[in-house]
Amino acid sequence: MELRLSEKLKIEGVSKSYKGSGGVLSDVSFTVGEGEFLSLLGPSGCGKTTLLRILVGLLEPDSGKIFKDGVDITAAKPSERGMGIVFQNYALFENMTVLQNVEYALKFHHIPKKEARARAEKMIEAVGLSEQIKKFPRNLSGGQQQRVAIARTLALNPDVVLFDEPMSALDVATRLSMRKELKALQATFGTTMIYVTHDQEEAFALSDRIMILNLGKISQIDTPEAIVKNPADDYVQSFVLDNLQAKVDSLARFTRGKEGAP
Amino acid sequence: MKRRSLSRTVISLCLILFFTLAVLLPILTMLTRITPAGFRETVSSPQFLPAVKNSVLTGLTATAISLLLALAAAFCLERTSLPGKAFFGTLFVLPMLIPSISHAFGLVSLFGANGFLTRLLHLKGSIYGFPGIVLGSVLYSFPVALLMFTGILQYEDGMTYKAAEVLGIPRFRQFTGITLPYLKKTLISAFFAVFTMIVTDYGVPLMIGGKTVTLSVLMYQKAAAMIDYDTGSVLGALLLIPAVVAFLADLSSPEHGQSGFVTEPVVPKKKGTGRIFSFLFCVLVGIFVLAPVFAFCLMVFETKYPIDPTPTLAHIKTSFHRGAGSYLGNSLLYSLIAGLFGTALAFFSSYLTARVKGLFGKAVHLISITSMAIPGLVLGLSYLIFFHGTPVYGTVILIALVNSVHFFSSPYLMMYNTLAKVNPDLESVGLSLGVGRFFIVRDVILPKVRYTLLEMFVYFFVNSMMTISAVSFLSPPSPKPLALMINQFEAQRLMESAAFVSLLILVINMALKLTVTALRRRAEKAGA
Repeated sequence: MELRLSEKLKIEGVSKSYKGSGGVLSDVSFTVGEGEFLSLLGPSGCGKTTLLRILVGLLEPDSGKIFKDGVDITAAKPSERGMGIVFQNYALFENMTVLQNVEYALKFHHIPKKEARARAEKMIEAVGLSEQIKKFPRNLSGGQQQRVAIARTLALNPDVVLFDEPMSALDVATRLSMRKELKALQATFGTTMIYVTHDQEEAFALSDRIMILNLGKISQIDTPEAIVKNPADDYVQSFVLDNLQAKVDSLARFTRGKEGAP
Repeated sequence: MKRRSLSRTVISLCLILFFTLAVLLPILTMLTRITPAGFRETVSSPQFLPAVKNSVLTGLTATAISLLLALAAAFCLERTSLPGKAFFGTLFVLPMLIPSISHAFGLVSLFGANGFLTRLLHLKGSIYGFPGIVLGSVLYSFPVALLMFTGILQYEDGMTYKAAEVLGIPRFRQFTGITLPYLKKTLISAFFAVFTMIVTDYGVPLMIGGKTVTLSVLMYQKAAAMIDYDTGSVLGALLLIPAVVAFLADLSSPEHGQSGFVTEPVVPKKKGTGRIFSFLFCVLVGIFVLAPVFAFCLMVFETKYPIDPTPTLAHIKTSFHRGAGSYLGNSLLYSLIAGLFGTALAFFSSYLTARVKGLFGKAVHLISITSMAIPGLVLGLSYLIFFHGTPVYGTVILIALVNSVHFFSSPYLMMYNTLAKVNPDLESVGLSLGVGRFFIVRDVILPKVRYTLLEMFVYFFVNSMMTISAVSFLSPPSPKPLALMINQFEAQRLMESAAFVSLLILVINMALKLTVTALRRRAEKAGA
């Protein structure tokens, strides 16, 4: 399946290394389409989080350029990029209620108080937390806290949202329902989403395209179907497809048993 | 981004400049006064070797007793279901709230020639000299060792003992095979910390040492009383040695704070004879710890201790006539300024090292914990030599500054550990939302660490209220703090006033401590 979306982000030859260790990212180039859901898949230490932080402007690349809507944003401040990021550990403001968490950043963008309140309430409703609006983060479940983090990010109307392993701290059932909600939010707001994960199943379930990173380089970037049909190398075959197949096989034993029962 | 790292560098350089001016240069200036001839003269003087011997002997004896007592008390508090645990826990740290000289003064009033217990029990022998120094030093250092031990015992993993039970390992072998190795590093740190604390303190040996002169007293006599700064500098440099060794030993042990993963705390057994023994032991330790305070109360509130026990408030009145009120005012001012300035400085430094890091983060961290290694006497003499003739000399500011530097490390580490535990992505989230670091610190991080800030303030305040070491070199000419009056009143045989001053410092410090603890508890309850 060929995706034909207008180009939202263009990353050209981005490299980054830390002192003392080798290269974290070497010469990474790719594009992301408008409204696309792209997953960055790879094991711990492959450079996914570093790439995400470079995109949002929290880290500076050693070399390479980042364009958004055709404009070079490599040197722009994080707040000038029109991007939002949702962290693995939520990083909620613990001394603020759900409403205050979502509303807080709006006042720094010169949005009138009434409008800010209305927008925050709308976002909280969109993530299904209207009943928890006055609660503090410590009184929410992990899934609810993650929803607050998403609402806080979306309230600023970013056209690109980056997710840094946002569901790794959640239990399986919550993860499954969060996946659906995330897709629904994307459909509602038309946001371009870049999603970092080390979970193959999650990447395949959510993504329009998947980018597989290994040792700071792109192994393959393509639609899930294309990756399954034509894995680019042994790494993609073993890390992604074989692992995924193992999961399918273990489930299949039971479903076969069920179907085979009289 | 370039701009951000620039401001970070500027702030780091300012902090480094501050510490260079307030710590490194004064110490170096003092050390440069040492000449080979001066050094030879000092070490060949007839007082030198006996002073070294006295310091080492009293230091080692008091350290050994203090550590044993503290370890036993820590076990009672953390490993038995002792009745009144919270009470004993608070009682045992009370000695931390009065100056070292007060402990010795308490012992003098109990066991001295006219002491309460000397008369009551017709005691022979003298408390002055070796026994007095040892007992006073134990009183003074016991709570510090206790806090180190209870701190580490609280974080031991109970699962290890459950596993040992299941494997059939006897209790004694559990102690030698699990507990002792677990405590080894803390025992070593505590040994160095307590020994240094005792050897560099001059309050106890000055008050109760009699003819037994230690190195610290010799330094005080030479530099503060006889104004012989060259000999003082040589002795100060020698007093730095145990402090530096302690500092290096602490630095090389990787277990700073509570590393490791505690799956469940050790739960003491509900029954057993251990409970009764530990209760009796804690009562005895409690009596020992409280005895000096008890003696102060007797002296302050009795007409003529130990002859006429009629209750009176007259001594308080006469103490104020003798100037206790104005000295109290001085001390409160010093403590307030050191509290505010020290807390702000420690917050900025720890924020930089724990959350911004960067090129100079490590340098600032190292300088910040170095102040721990400098004994107050040495810092005081260094300040006297370095700041003499500058506009700050003889002012309130210099005393507040020396106290802020002297007591900097502990509050710095308190905040460093707290900040290291605060979600590391808060500032990043802020930046991505267009909220600058300043606002995230003001609106999110400061509210979160406010009780640590309060505790830091209290630490600076309490210690500034009771310190007599560095300030003894700087006042006069700076206005005298209250704690220095204990020695002066005692020297003038105004025992009741000396006792009143000790008691006053204790009451103020205790009130502040209890208020902060109550505030924190209330907040924790509300937050739960």
